Amino acid sequence: MPVPYAFRLAAQSLFREKWINLLSILTIASGLLIISISLFTVYNIDTATKKLPEKFSLMLYFDDGIEKDKIDSVIDSLKKDSAVSTVKFISKDEAMREMKGMLKSSGSIFEGLDENPLPDSLEIRLKREDVSPAAVKKIADQALKIRGVHEVEYGEKFLSTLHHLKVGLKTIGMILIALISTGIIFVCYSTVKILFYRRKDEIETFKLLGATKAFIRTPFLIEGAFIGAAGGLVSLLGIAACYYVVLLKMSLTIPLFSVILFPSDLFLPLPLIGMFLGIAGAATALGRLRY
Amino acid sequence: MDEMISFQDVTKDYDTQTALRNITFSVDKGEMAFITGPSGSGKTTLLKLIYCAEKPDKGTISVAGFETAAIKESTVPALRRHIGIVFQDFRLLENKNVFENVAIALRIRGVSEREMKTRVYDSLKTVTLRHKSDAYPKSLSGGEQQRVVIARAIVAEPTVLLADEPTGNLDPDTAAGVMRTFKDVNAKGTTILIATHNRDLFRHTGRKVIKLDSGNLVGEELG
Repeated sequence: MPVPYAFRLAAQSLFREKWINLLSILTIASGLLIISISLFTVYNIDTATKKLPEKFSLMLYFDDGIEKDKIDSVIDSLKKDSAVSTVKFISKDEAMREMKGMLKSSGSIFEGLDENPLPDSLEIRLKREDVSPAAVKKIADQALKIRGVHEVEYGEKFLSTLHHLKVGLKTIGMILIALISTGIIFVCYSTVKILFYRRKDEIETFKLLGATKAFIRTPFLIEGAFIGAAGGLVSLLGIAACYYVVLLKMSLTIPLFSVILFPSDLFLPLPLIGMFLGIAGAATALGRLRY
Repeated sequence: MDEMISFQDVTKDYDTQTALRNITFSVDKGEMAFITGPSGSGKTTLLKLIYCAEKPDKGTISVAGFETAAIKESTVPALRRHIGIVFQDFRLLENKNVFENVAIALRIRGVSEREMKTRVYDSLKTVTLRHKSDAYPKSLSGGEQQRVVIARAIVAEPTVLLADEPTGNLDPDTAAGVMRTFKDVNAKGTTILIATHNRDLFRHTGRKVIKLDSGNLVGEELG
């Protein structure tokens, strides 16, 4: 079939059955908008939590009276670890000074303290990409095995909660995407099936005149692609409107909203995704129809 | 002469009713023949077996070199592109104008737009409907609709032309004109098989007439 004629047949059918098609486009747009909003939420939470590891550090405390050489060798070996970003030595005197600085108003608690009870310590910062519960635990366990290391402290619970939050959000996002994508395919499937039955007499005539299956199917695939792409485009406009019209305006009164980002790279392919889902729905319908 | 259409001992049943029983006949290449008989004698079923809208329960059918009794579903469109059909119920596309209704036979065959225009207008001229090319089927009379169907059947210059009661809705003068068109098409080499109960169409033509009655072939003679 000459392709332009298939487009003409598809365009005629899209116009003739405009209400069914419009309803399908809006249904697909709603589905893709839900996907977009979940992606938007996951993206922003992910971006926000990515900044947290920069502030994350492990504290390594030495046994009392450890030699300077031993401390230097621990620092050297830690620096060799590819996951470690910086290692800062905090002497027991420095730690005491810091503590006194912090507790200026309650200076009385240091009265009668002859000896400094604080240990020498190291503040270890990790590279952002290596701050996962497993990686941090591994470094902490290795450090604990070194002779002279008394204790390693880190926000195990905080890290684990953060990790679970991210994994949980991503999983919910993926499930939502899978479910709604299936729903969109089903909408296109049903629409094409309805359109097909409404043109059954015409298709029967085409067949009797010698039309091939490709001749009959191509306009329906084009229709499915158009419905899906139009749904994607409407959802793209919807999510952009949500961001630029609603969120940015709200950020004028609620400054917290100004940190929310709009990942346009993530949303620009929405019409394309819609088109793919539309073709998938149309192809499934045509594959199941007997004609 | 080569056989273009050949039926060998063909039987077709619909549930408990036999539509055609042990039919054997042939139509040669370039021949124009008629099938006649009263309503319900099996004329339409016989034509449907030729263009594979039905399959026989018994026997073999050969059309334009295709063995239709055992034909693959994927080959049926190729067979049908060898055949032009004048349907009794017209099968015109209501949402397309006369030009598009005729052109569809060429679009299905992948003919270019330019060639298509010339051929469609030529075909409409043959059935004297050139001036109605923009009209829609609903605005045409029964006779005009029938002529559009004839134009669609002949536009692709098929090897075989099947016509099911092609003059059923026509006045005698227009019917005579349609028969002249068929003779012209036949003169160019197209094999034609016309199903009709109108004896005037084949009387004194000297053409082969196959007579059916209640699904049985009751005679074959020259008109």
